[in-house]
Amino acid sequence: MAHAAQSSPVARGSAEQRITARKEPRIGFEGKMMSPGLVLLAALSIVPFLALIAMSFSRVRLLGGVRLDVAGLTNWARFFTDADMWMSWLRTVVYFVLTVGLEMVLGVGIALCLFRVLRGRNILLSLLLLPMFAAPSIVGLLGRYLTDSTFGLYAWVLRSLGYTGDILGSPVSAFAAVVLMDVWEWTPLIALITLAGLSSVPQSVREAAAVDGAGGWMTLRYILFPAISNVLLVALLIRSMDAIRYFDIIWVTTNGGPADATKIVPVRLYETAFRFFDLGYAAAIGLAMLVFSILIARTFVRLLDVRGLTR
Amino acid sequence: MSTSTTPPSPTPRPAVADEAAHGRAIAAAPRGEPQSPLESSSRRTRWLVTLLIVLAMLWTLVPLAWMLLSSFKNRVDVTASTPQVFFTPTLDNYRNLFRGPNNLAPYILHSVLAAGISALLAVFLGALAGYGLARTQMRGKRHLAFWIISTRMAPIAAIVVPLFLIFRGLGLIDSIPGLVLAYLTFNLPFAIWLMSAFFAEVPSSLEESALVSGCSRWQAFYLVILPLTKSGLVTTFILCLVFAWNDYAFAVVFSGPNSQTLPIAASQLVTQTGIDWGQLTAIGTIVVVPMMLAGLAVRRWLVTGLTLGAVTGE
Amino acid sequence: MDRYPPQPSRRDVLRGALAAGASAALGAGLVSCGSRSDVARTADAGPWRQFQGATLNLISENTAPTAAIAAHTKPFTDLTGIEVRIVTLELSALVQRVALDLASGRAQYQVIYADPYQVLAPYQRGLVDLRSLQADPNLPDLPGGVGDFIPVQMDAAGRFADPEPFYALPYDAPTMIWQYRRDLFEKYHDRMAGDLGFDPTPGGDRTWEEYFRIARWFNENAASDVRYGTGHQARQHDSLMNDFSNVLWSYGGTYFDNGREVGRLGTRDPGPCRLDSDAAIAGAEFYNRLLSIADPASKTWDWDGVGAAFRAGRLAMCPNWHEFAASNETALPGRVGYAVLPRGPVATANMYGGTGVGISGNTLPHERGAAWLFLVWATSPETQLANLRSEAGGGTPTRTSVYEMPEVRAAERRPSPMPNMLTAAAVRQAWQPDRIGLRPKIPMWNECNTAIFTQLSRMLSGAESPRETMRSIKSRVDRIVARGWVA
Repeated sequence: MAHAAQSSPVARGSAEQRITARKEPRIGFEGKMMSPGLVLLAALSIVPFLALIAMSFSRVRLLGGVRLDVAGLTNWARFFTDADMWMSWLRTVVYFVLTVGLEMVLGVGIALCLFRVLRGRNILLSLLLLPMFAAPSIVGLLGRYLTDSTFGLYAWVLRSLGYTGDILGSPVSAFAAVVLMDVWEWTPLIALITLAGLSSVPQSVREAAAVDGAGGWMTLRYILFPAISNVLLVALLIRSMDAIRYFDIIWVTTNGGPADATKIVPVRLYETAFRFFDLGYAAAIGLAMLVFSILIARTFVRLLDVRGLTR
Repeated sequence: MSTSTTPPSPTPRPAVADEAAHGRAIAAAPRGEPQSPLESSSRRTRWLVTLLIVLAMLWTLVPLAWMLLSSFKNRVDVTASTPQVFFTPTLDNYRNLFRGPNNLAPYILHSVLAAGISALLAVFLGALAGYGLARTQMRGKRHLAFWIISTRMAPIAAIVVPLFLIFRGLGLIDSIPGLVLAYLTFNLPFAIWLMSAFFAEVPSSLEESALVSGCSRWQAFYLVILPLTKSGLVTTFILCLVFAWNDYAFAVVFSGPNSQTLPIAASQLVTQTGIDWGQLTAIGTIVVVPMMLAGLAVRRWLVTGLTLGAVTGE
Repeated sequence: MDRYPPQPSRRDVLRGALAAGASAALGAGLVSCGSRSDVARTADAGPWRQFQGATLNLISENTAPTAAIAAHTKPFTDLTGIEVRIVTLELSALVQRVALDLASGRAQYQVIYADPYQVLAPYQRGLVDLRSLQADPNLPDLPGGVGDFIPVQMDAAGRFADPEPFYALPYDAPTMIWQYRRDLFEKYHDRMAGDLGFDPTPGGDRTWEEYFRIARWFNENAASDVRYGTGHQARQHDSLMNDFSNVLWSYGGTYFDNGREVGRLGTRDPGPCRLDSDAAIAGAEFYNRLLSIADPASKTWDWDGVGAAFRAGRLAMCPNWHEFAASNETALPGRVGYAVLPRGPVATANMYGGTGVGISGNTLPHERGAAWLFLVWATSPETQLANLRSEAGGGTPTRTSVYEMPEVRAAERRPSPMPNMLTAAAVRQAWQPDRIGLRPKIPMWNECNTAIFTQLSRMLSGAESPRETMRSIKSRVDRIVARGWVA
């Protein structure tokens, strides 16, 4: 990520001179600046990480102080043979693709619309951004309130439109509802980033396209999209890092139900760790999730690299 | 070597400070030339755009407005089976929140302290480390950067148990410092990452000239570079504040009677004798509104941070 | 000025970071071995005031009795000089904090709301055997002794596996009973009796099959008064297992062999799951059928949801916890009646969901004494009576003597200053040993429970037949039990 944030070529040139002036690569001023933060980060992350690895090969006893009994590969064997777990992974992938995909499509759509609005754009944008600052647990509770079949506003609207089912009561609609709640909260982020990308496409480029007789769609397809694709990738990266980490909304609304329809892996992890206190197995799930997030993040970083964005 | 007291004034306008103006200039440009080819759209397209924006606004704002509205409803209206738009507003829900054994005031105080201090610390350490990361040329810089951000991807439920035991050993459970440290686990990597994006926007030539005129590296950072990234500092602070303020998963484990935070208070209203939706929407409003105001205050600079400079760095 | 003083190499920094991390971990270990201070004891201050100045932390589920106690801790502080702070959490968050607290070797929470299935059974070794405190001559006795607690509740909420020691004192006693709209049953009594061919008045003589027909009758004939005849707490949640179990037991099904003993005292090894029996499958088939005519929103409700819907006038009847009576009475004054749940072809069962209060085994001796004072006070007849009157909600007593007090007896009829007592006649019947429904008390219940309500939820969504559901629950539960429990 920070590669994306590297200094401009000019800056880099001068920095390189400074570096080559020195013989041995040493930590230097930058290293000293980094060390307080990195040491703290290391303490807060490496210890739990090592503990996690150790726990994933153990049975964890809790009472009278934590102890680890070596369990070999049992947790991992269970992880790979647990059919319910595979269903959860499948649901997680669907959830991930749906939330992030919808957020991208809607976010880009909203940004394109806003881009055409000239007057009052800032006020509109401000209002549209509001959901991303709301606490996910509150969003979940609000979602429950809005979809409650006795007094929920949205349930009432749907009922007057002829939908008689219960939103959080059946697997498909409940899944759709939690996806939409996430989309509600995070689409604004994508819209914000995309709009910034669109605004930075030089006016001259757009004019040239128009002079060449490119229509609206052609401009979009051949001028705007290529110009903002890097920004979109960054947006994707940011969203995908958090998309499966946060599960507050599901936890508060459906708790994984009905019929396990919304039990994505983080929910299962939480339940394994803190309801069943099977901490060894939870550690294995947690590590797998970490690998999953890192793989996704890596993929997007690679893509950014290929496009030379990271310079 | 004598040190000159005044830092050199930066001649090239730094990109960060420029960003907002830059963005605005482009946004405003078409207004100057009516019917610029791209913006000249058929009436139908304009209608379509307006319609879509209205829909987006409704989709975004109705839930929030409904929450606000419901927080002023009495017990009957709030769970009326036909949604009530017109009703006699009451402040009872807010009043009740500050009354009785579960007075909300200490929760607010804990939230402000824990989130505020954690965000301040994150910005402080993040600025130092972010600057180092933006300027360092060490080998493996990419790996270091990736490691930093990967610590933020760790699943909460998995790392909470080891952290809990460490914190308990250090006596940090149920204390504000404990919460501050817990929030740093996700805010620190984020702050380093964000600040490094902001620093990368500032050309190194500025430090070079500062060094030439006799500043130490620290002075160059502190007197020249840091003031230029004020917007970055504020943005980072606000975003860290929002994340910490909104946290539920860490607070539920690390807090106790002396350190319960607002999202915990909200979850406590989900009780066995029924959810008091009036109070819950009132708490929701109290939790959500300050962060929205804070977020909007830094809206102009959010983009630089959140796109890691990919937009403005072109 | 030297701009580039000798600098540590990258490796040094890396090493430093690792060392810092390691020392943080080590530091954690060392500090935890450090001293912990117990509360002071004033030996000559008498049994009740000997720990004055202490502070106790109570962690509890956000239930009605806790709300009542939280609102009225002042008498205890006046009596003992001990400050009480109460943290109330939703049950799963509570279990999480309690387990971590027990694991940490210290007692941040001295007094623990010990749900028999989620705290007592899995973490019994982390709780104090209260016999040691009861026998302590320096500490006050339990008024009326252990025998004053309703015996089946004392076993279910206080003991585990062994009939002698007890780890918690019964603190609340929610029990599932039949809650119905008295006004509507009176209004339609004759028409219903004519159409259905039996007397529809709720009571222990009704069968579940009749309950089903009454519900359907309301669906078809009383749309002007209520939307649905019956509603259930059938969300994918603990509540679904509770709601289903009443039917299961009535049809003769059980979770394990020796269901009553596994329910009352509990065991660490219950043996194979018996949900694949024909009786259990018949129960599941009926439950599936019942839910198909129930309010479809049932699948989103836990006990709160069905309680709120009932109070909103949406349902003619529902099985729910009897402690909801107080709020029913506020919303529908005088219009709600209570009875024991219907019987099935084999038996009758009313799910018991009571809980005890216990003391963390990590407490130091004087802390433990102070915590005992709170237990004695919180479960004393006077406090239980005060809770009944509390406006903050209040649970129902767990002591025989309280139910015999003349004012409590008088409150069983309207107008009642203690609305929860309107259910007394029903719950007194429900607590008979042959009517009380006790779920298996095994350490791994939490995980079994999740498997049970998850698969039931699949059954209700139509994804699996009742027979497949019972079989898949059995195979999961057997696997969970076979893994055993370490704590």
